[in-house]
Order: sequence, then structure tokens, then C-alpha cells
Amino acid sequence: MKQLNSMADLFNRLNDLKVAFSYGEKYIPIIQSIIDFMKQTVPLLETINTSISDTAVKIPKAKDQINNVSSATELATTEILDIVDSISLEIEKIETDVKSIQKMEDEKKKIWGQIKESINASPEVIELIEKYEKLDMIREEIPKILNVFQKTRNDVNNITLSLQVQDITSQQLAAVNHLIESVREKLSSLIQNLNESETKESSILNISIPKGATFDPNAEYTKSTEKQDVADSLVSSSLNKTTQDEIDKLFS
Amino acid sequence: MDLKFLVVDDSVTMRRIVINSLKSLSYSDFVEAGDGKEALEKLGADNTINFVITDWNMPVLSGLELVKAIRSNETFNKLPILMVTTRGVKEDILEALQARVNNYVVKPFTPQILKEKIDQIVQIV
Repeated sequence: MKQLNSMADLFNRLNDLKVAFSYGEKYIPIIQSIIDFMKQTVPLLETINTSISDTAVKIPKAKDQINNVSSATELATTEILDIVDSISLEIEKIETDVKSIQKMEDEKKKIWGQIKESINASPEVIELIEKYEKLDMIREEIPKILNVFQKTRNDVNNITLSLQVQDITSQQLAAVNHLIESVREKLSSLIQNLNESETKESSILNISIPKGATFDPNAEYTKSTEKQDVADSLVSSSLNKTTQDEIDKLFS
Repeated sequence: MDLKFLVVDDSVTMRRIVINSLKSLSYSDFVEAGDGKEALEKLGADNTINFVITDWNMPVLSGLELVKAIRSNETFNKLPILMVTTRGVKEDILEALQARVNNYVVKPFTPQILKEKIDQIVQIV
């Protein structure tokens, strides 16, 4: 009786084995494809790892290049400012000279008028005097020349003001450099994590601007007065003491 | 009122642009500083400075820290301060106002804006 039970048990086990084999037949191809996928993925991961390492190595060079661009534009801007200052100085000198000439011409005209009144000239001489006066146009031209100087001076001032773009782009480049440095740090930690075969929370890119940054990541060169308008409105409100609540709310 | 300006900016270019703009507005007396710390040293050494124009983002001591240092100093706390900066976000402007700047100019600026703000400050102070 005991033997019969053992046989039944054996048949049950064989049945279980048969079921397992039939499952195996079904799943072996899937397992095989997973193994094949992993075989293909491992070299890919190694390539990614190498690529990340290469990128991390190249980043300091990119930072240097950006710094070089910043230095070069600052140098160029200084040179432009030197030239602009020199032009302004020349304009000022010529303007002063032309104003002196204008004064002398005014004086000459006054004296000329007195001469005309005091001499009792013949009609021929008067005709000659009138001809001479028509040719003597310097006095009339001087205000036009002074206007050109004024316009040139304004243009030169505008060139100076446009050079503010250098400071603004420098800050933008400094912000980009900061981001690149943050990416490098994250990549380094990622490489370390990959080598340790584990992924940590810290490897997720989370780049922020440090509190004491000497650049403004939002700096922009724009002709729009939108930001100045906001500043004016806030300054005006603060002078009227109406934004204290707003300030308190912001800083509470 | 004769104004002697202390122009504070870490960018040499910007200091020259501010000073050129002030010259175009017929001002002629300037002292320069490259950061907030240098600005405080200049203020300590020259009691004829009666107007400060400062940038915000600077190394060593920022413009905002400079404003706070000036406002907490018995000798200089009444000095008019105009902040000229790229920072145009509302929160930044409010923070500067809370630190008690007298007025605020967002870069890029024009000499007209500079004149307007200086005149406003001089009228009030």
C-alpha cells in the first residue's frame, strides 16, 4: 500500500516536471532573447560610459574657451572705448575751435557793418562789397557744422552705450560656464556611480545658481523698457510707502 | 549741488560707460571701485564722495551687501545710492529697495535714464 502511494506521488512529480518542461519550452525563447539583449546592451553601456568620461574630460576645455571669448570681447570693447574716447576728444577740440571761429566771424561782421556805414563808397565799390559778402559764407555755415558735431557726438555716445552688451554677454557666458561646471560635476558622479554599478539619487541633474554668484543668469541685452518700467513702478510705490506690505509678504 | 560719484562695478567697461554717461550729463568728479569692499575703503578714505552708483553682481562684496554696509554705517548711512544692474526681476528690485537703495536702473541704460534717476534722488535727499 505504501509502495502504491509512492508510485502515485512519483507520477504526480513527473506530471509537475512535465508542466515545468512545457512552461520551459514556452519561456526559454523569451529568456534567450533577454540574454541576447543583455549581451548587446553591455557593450552599449560601456560605450556610453566611455563617452561620458570623454565628455567630462572635454568640459574644462569648453570652459576655458568660453572664458577666452569673454576676455577677448572685453579687450575688444576696451579698445573700442579707447577709440571712441579719442574721437570724442577730437570732436570736442574741433568744436571749441569752430566756436572760436564763429565768435571771430560775428565780430568781423560787426566791424564790416561799421566800415560799410562809415565809408562813402561809389556804387561800383558797394557792388564789390556785396559780391564779397555773398562769397563769405563761413559764418552761415558754422551752425550747420556745429550741428554735425552734435550729431556725431550723439552717435559716439550711442556706440559707448551699445558696448554695455559686453558686460551683459559676459554675465550670460559666466552663467553658461557655471552650468557646464555643474554638468561636469554631475557627470563625474555618474561615472563614479556606473563604476560602482549603482545609481544614486545625486546623479540626477539638478543645476542651480549659487547665492553668491557674480553673474546674472537672466541678464539680457534688450531695448525693451519693460524691466525698467517694473523698477520705476516699484521705486515709486516704495517712495509712497505702499509696497511695504508687498515687501514684507515677499520676505516673511 | 556738486556731486562726487563713487562708481562701483567689477567690469572696467561698465565703469567707463557709466562715467562717460555722467560726463555727457556735465558731471566731472568720479571715484571708481571694482567691488563692494574696495568701495567701502574708498568711502572711508574720501569724505567728499556724496553719491554712490553701484552694480549688484560683484565678487568679494556684492552691491547689495555694499548697500547694507553703507546703511548700517553711522558715517555714510545717508549717502544716496543708485543701483545700476542687469537684475530686472521684481523680487530682486524689492530686495534692493528693502536694503534701502534710493533708486534702481536696469542695464542697458541710457544717459537720460541715469539723469532722471539722479535728479529724482537729489530732489528727495
